[in-house]
Parts: sequence; structure tokens; C-alpha cells
Amino acid sequence: MKLIITDIEEFNLPVEGEYKVIKPESGIHHCVGCFGCWTKTPGKCVIHDGYENTGINMGKCSEMILVSRCFYGSVSPFVKMVQDRAISYVHPDFVIRKGEMHHKRRYENVIALSLYLYGENITEAEKETAASIMDANADNYDGQVKQIRFFSNIEEMEGLVL
Amino acid sequence: MRIALIDASPKAKGSTSGILLDDLRHCLSGRAGMEMVDVALHSPQMQEEAWEKLDCADGWVFACPLYVDCLPGHLLSCLAQMDEKYSGGKEIAVYGIVNCGFYEGIQAETALKVMQNWCAKAGFAWRGGIGVGGGGALDIMTATPQEHGPKAPISKALSEMADNITEAGKGSAWENRYVSVAFPRFLYKMAGQMGWRHEIKANGGKSKDLGKRP
Ligand SMILES: Cc1cc2nc3c(=O)[nH]c(=O)nc-3n(C[C@H](O)[C@H](O)[C@H](O)COP(=O)(O)O)c2cc1C
Repeated sequence: MKLIITDIEEFNLPVEGEYKVIKPESGIHHCVGCFGCWTKTPGKCVIHDGYENTGINMGKCSEMILVSRCFYGSVSPFVKMVQDRAISYVHPDFVIRKGEMHHKRRYENVIALSLYLYGENITEAEKETAASIMDANADNYDGQVKQIRFFSNIEEMEGLVL
Repeated sequence: MRIALIDASPKAKGSTSGILLDDLRHCLSGRAGMEMVDVALHSPQMQEEAWEKLDCADGWVFACPLYVDCLPGHLLSCLAQMDEKYSGGKEIAVYGIVNCGFYEGIQAETALKVMQNWCAKAGFAWRGGIGVGGGGALDIMTATPQEHGPKAPISKALSEMADNITEAGKGSAWENRYVSVAFPRFLYKMAGQMGWRHEIKANGGKSKDLGKRP
């Protein structure tokens, strides 16, 4: 399954194969840093606002595709809040990977990460930052970066098949 | 000079960001002409009180946790609102302290970069940041900055940041620094894992539930 997380409310890009889209439907609550998703209801966020199952969905996906407006080299607040609410994808215990501390896997799937960032005047520095974040995410999810692409606006993405 | 100490952890109480700001406050207090105001950014929506304090500060020091290799989502939302309000029209010195749960402070590099990009876009002056590794251990350590012991590298970096803040205008921006608690990594890892077991039991679960796969 492809898991698409986007801030585009009217998301309608065609997707090949089975997929699930997480987009702004109702207000999302931000992660409050309680770690309840590890120590109260392991695997699932404790805030019930419709966005509590992202960690579970990540455990079922082969590809995670972020389609977002670029905010200073990061994804948008909405997409980031969804990501923050989904750290239960990993196990709280630690492992050393590539010489650095990370979390153990909870699930066995290896996620291929793709990033489609749009926005006017995305700077070279922002592009570099975005790529570094994706590399770091891949280390943390123990997955791989598949592709990163930049667009000046949503319309420019027309014709894409995810 | 008025410095806004901005606590951008989503936790209103008991955050490592709060401890780091307390330590910085300790370093800055008593310096001539230095005034400090506390700003809380615990949620995505900027509050009137925060705007008022930010408006009349000469420097902003953000402290926040590293979330998924980046700034927490609620802080990104606040930064976007600040960008919109002040863009190009505010001379301000910006500092960032990002603490991470993992041991290596360098893991906060990407989050500090996002802050730097934000400054570049909004026309703020980025003055430097600290990536603090082993943030999870700080709450069990002494409440003041330390010259020796596990907190020493962090205290030293904060004290250097305080010097740079005091010299603002004269001194130059410095390179971001990355520090960790002076405490062996394997012990930090072990203590953390014991902590999760303790917490899940306190919540009525079992250690093996930590690995559940819903
Ligand atoms: C949603 C979430 C994501 C996190 N992501 C990371 C991460 O990518 N790297 C890391 O080192 N720590 C990560 N942490 C751990 C926090 O950075 C750590 O607990 C920090 O000390 C919290 O600081 P605070 O008490 O100031 O909020 C994450 C924690 C949460 C809740």
C-alpha cells in the first residue's frame, strides 16, 4: 500500500495501485510529546481526532509519499503534525545504526520515502535541507529515500502519477 | 537589551527545553542591561500575549525538541505566522536550541537548518544554534549550569551563547555547536529503555507490550 500524506485538501493526483491518503479533513491536534503511543496504547496515538492511526498505516505501507508545501525546507505544519503523531511506527527501544542512536523497528516493512514539495521560490538551501531531512527520516524509519522533487505550484504537478 | 526566551516544547511543564532556557537565563542574569521575558509557544496558534512580548524584544532564543528530524509541527505553524507578520520589517537576532532524545546532538542539525532558512526568508538575523544530544537525561541532573559532570558540555555551550547574546551587534554569529551529555551512550540507552518499561508498567501494561503491532 502507498501511504500519501498531503496538505492539499482537494488532492486528486492519480495513484497507481492500492493507496491511502491522509489530508486535512478536520482540524488536527499537534503531538503533545506524551509518549502515550509507546507506553499507554503502544502503536497508536492517544489523541482521538481521526489522525491517531498513521503509525499503524505506516506499518502496512511499502511507500510513504509526502506531498506538501515547502516551509523553510520542511514539509508544512499539517504534514509535519501527522508525522509527529506517528512515531509509534518505531519501537521506543534504541539501536545504533550507522554509528548513531535510532529506534528499533516495530514492524518489518521497509518504507520507500518520496517527497514532492511545492512552493514559489524554494531556495537551494531549502532544497538541501529537505534532502537532509529525508535522509535522516530514512535512517530513523530504517527505510530508503526513493525520490525528492520540487514544484513551483500545485498545478505544475499535473500529469504526475504517484 | 531585551531577550525573549521562547519555550517551544509542546509541553507546558517539565520539558527539557524549559530546563535549557532556565540554564541560559542563569547565564544571562546579572549581566548589565540584560532583561529577559518568557514566551510560551506550546500550540500551533500564536497567542496575543506572545505577540506582545515578541514585538518588543531585541533577540529571540527558541528552545524546542527535535521531532522526526525537524522542528515540531506546532512550532512550524508559529514560525509561519511570525514570518507573515514581521517579514522584512523586523531587525531581530535569532538563536535556536534544539534538544534531541537521541544521544548525538548533531541529529538536531536539520532542525537548526530549518530555523536558519526561516530567518533567511523573513529577513531575521540568524546568530547561531546549539544541538543538544541526550535531552532525555537532563531532568534528572542538577538544576543549575555545571562546570563539571554530565551536564558540563551543555552548560559550556549555553554560556558561550549567553556571551554572544550579550555582545550582539559587536560579536559575530557563530557556527552552530553540537553537544551531548557527558555520560556514556550505552548507559543513556539502558536508562532510557528502563524508563519505557517503568512507564508502561505504571500505565498498567507489561514490558512486552512495548512491541505490540496494532
Ligand atoms: C513526536 C516525537 C518525535 C521525536 N523525534 C525525535 C527525533 O527525530 N530524534 C530525536 O533525537 N529525538 C526525537 N524525539 C525525542 C525528543 O526530542 C526528546 O524527548 C526531547 O528531549 C523532548 O524535549 P522537550 O521536553 O523539550 O519537549 C521525538 C519525540 C517526539 C514526541
